[in-house]
Amino acid sequence: MINTIDISHYGTVAESIRIEAARILGEGLVTAVVAYTAGRRAGSVQPAIITSAAEAERLTFTAASVNNLAVYLTKAKKDIPRSGRIGIVVKGCDLKALVGLMGESQLQREQLYLIGIPCAGVLASTVRPAEPLTAGNLAPKCRECDAQLPEGCDYVPEIDLPLPTPLESTYAAEIARLEGLTPAERWAYWKEQFAKCIKCYACRQVCPFCFCEQCLCDRNKPQMVDTTPRPAGNTAWHIVRAMHLAGRCAGCAECERVCPMDIPLNLLNRKMAKELKELFDYEAGFAVNEKGPLTMFMEKDDQSFIK
Amino acid sequence: MQKYLSRHNFYTLLDTLISGGIRVVAPRMTAGIPLYGPLGESVEMVLDQLPRRSAKEAFFPVCEDIMSYEKEGQQVRLTDVEPASFPETVLVGVRPCDAAAIPVLDGVFSWDYKDEFFLERRRKTTVIGLACTSADDACFCTAVGLSPADTRGSDLFLTPLADGGYLCDVCSDKGEALVADTINLFSEPGSSTPLPLAAPSVPAFDLKKVKGWLDGHFEDPLWDGTALRCVGCGACAFVCPACHCFDIVDEGTEKSGKRRKSWDACGFWKFTHHASGHNPRDKQPKRYRNRIMHKFKYYDDKFGQTLCTGCGRCVRICPVGIDIAAIVTEINGMAIECTPAGGETRS
Ligand code: SF4
Ligand code: SF4
Ligand code: SF4
Ligand code: SF4
Repeated sequence: MINTIDISHYGTVAESIRIEAARILGEGLVTAVVAYTAGRRAGSVQPAIITSAAEAERLTFTAASVNNLAVYLTKAKKDIPRSGRIGIVVKGCDLKALVGLMGESQLQREQLYLIGIPCAGVLASTVRPAEPLTAGNLAPKCRECDAQLPEGCDYVPEIDLPLPTPLESTYAAEIARLEGLTPAERWAYWKEQFAKCIKCYACRQVCPFCFCEQCLCDRNKPQMVDTTPRPAGNTAWHIVRAMHLAGRCAGCAECERVCPMDIPLNLLNRKMAKELKELFDYEAGFAVNEKGPLTMFMEKDDQSFIK
Repeated sequence: MQKYLSRHNFYTLLDTLISGGIRVVAPRMTAGIPLYGPLGESVEMVLDQLPRRSAKEAFFPVCEDIMSYEKEGQQVRLTDVEPASFPETVLVGVRPCDAAAIPVLDGVFSWDYKDEFFLERRRKTTVIGLACTSADDACFCTAVGLSPADTRGSDLFLTPLADGGYLCDVCSDKGEALVADTINLFSEPGSSTPLPLAAPSVPAFDLKKVKGWLDGHFEDPLWDGTALRCVGCGACAFVCPACHCFDIVDEGTEKSGKRRKSWDACGFWKFTHHASGHNPRDKQPKRYRNRIMHKFKYYDDKFGQTLCTGCGRCVRICPVGIDIAAIVTEINGMAIECTPAGGETRS
């Protein structure tokens, strides 16, 4: 698969971000802007938090702008000084996470100035950030994206290019394949995947919804989950992670992108999302919901599991 | 001493070792990614990609049991794990940045406390290194004084030749013994030329000056500037061939269980969290500062070596693009600027 994805508008998007960030910082509308700058390696991009209009000229947006910057607004990142209103660059999938955080009373809309990206997709991995974006190295989440044009932002650069049409979902195909296996075969698959886990917790640390001040897996009074990277502790961690994100995960797939062991974490997230859609007709979107599907009861809820 | 080893004989060598009951550990695909692991047969070996985790796990596994306990009434029985039971191993296809880290680790594991788990594996392992013929812009072995053909840490060292075979440097007694045991597979070097070596692009650091700068800049705006965005995971430490911190925990029940040693990382907030609740490294930039200090200053202070071999793994996998080569390049620049013209540096 080498069909190139048209991201020729990203240059204009980057220029618009620079102008808008300089304006809102210059006018004192915000105290900081969370965005992307170029890194040392060819094509590499990294998150940046800027506080002055002069720094805005460093900002960029490319297919390597993979990070969900919402993580920097959570209380898990309390080292980042915050005062006043904050500007933040969001792709549609990142915005869904921000909206989820608002629903969970972690953020308020008035505290934010949202710069939305008309998004044609980003790279699945930044190990080789200079690679041109193709259907082959496109992040799997982007293949099935319904959020290319984020809604409800304070500013979205205007572009006249049509955004690419979504491709067939690789997650749906893989979930269908796994659902077709026997429980023993499925367990063998996940056992092999979890065996690679080294408990680096990169997946947890980049997740906007992993904002617990002390993760259950870090507790030792009492020790809830074995800490060592062995079958018992690894399985427990992956069950805790998948279950605690069910009905919350907005699908930015950052956990899967950052896993240095290539464990397909978003498959678990997508499977949970599928169950929530089927059971409660719930999907993460652009509207703030104060109660998630797992924190409220409705009479029409499926109760067939009560036997 | 140099020998010639044809491609065919290289694979035969490994299969001969395996059938002779030697554990052969090499890069091989494991659930979709290249990792070092024991080979069933030589064809499983994958030599064209750098394994995701380094070769340190051949000596210092991700997790290992060090003791077990059983309790019956008032009696507690402790059983040690005997390092003598570790198997003879040949570690193959090790890149120079991974191999060079092994003797660096000898320093810390044979210091005031002799870690028999590490040292016994070290005694029982023969390392066959492999020169690199390609590098990406995350690689920077040449910036830290190594090279794609550095033989440090290798007992035998293979350089790929144009004919598909290898030039084999014999670098130690262990290496010589292995060649002697399988001498019919080796011949005298012929006319085939070595393939061009990889050429990493990061300009060399002046490690003495970098250390000199670190000596005086425990507090510096650089730390907040580069590491405020660090998310505090263990990824960089865990993929690193030289990071060696570990945690020891007891896992099991009141009646029986195991004492285990597993990798730990200075990026975790928990790493320096005291029982009192106090945390001297209370912010992420302080934790990241420790990573740089340990690699380019503390380890040099204690063991006279640098704790980074420039493999670039942490650069490739950091979720937020923290690039140790860029940071040390910046320090190197500041260190050179603050050196008086023609004057001596602090070192
Ligand atoms: S999922 Fe959609 S909004 Fe998110 S990066 Fe991909 S294309 Fe852009
Ligand atoms: S990022 Fe991957 S290896 Fe690290 S803890 Fe998460 S699943 Fe495990
Ligand atoms: S610090 Fe990074 S580049 Fe240096 S040896 Fe460790 S993983 Fe490799
Ligand atoms: S530098 Fe990167 S890989 Fe290391 S702890 Fe920070 S975020 Fe994780």
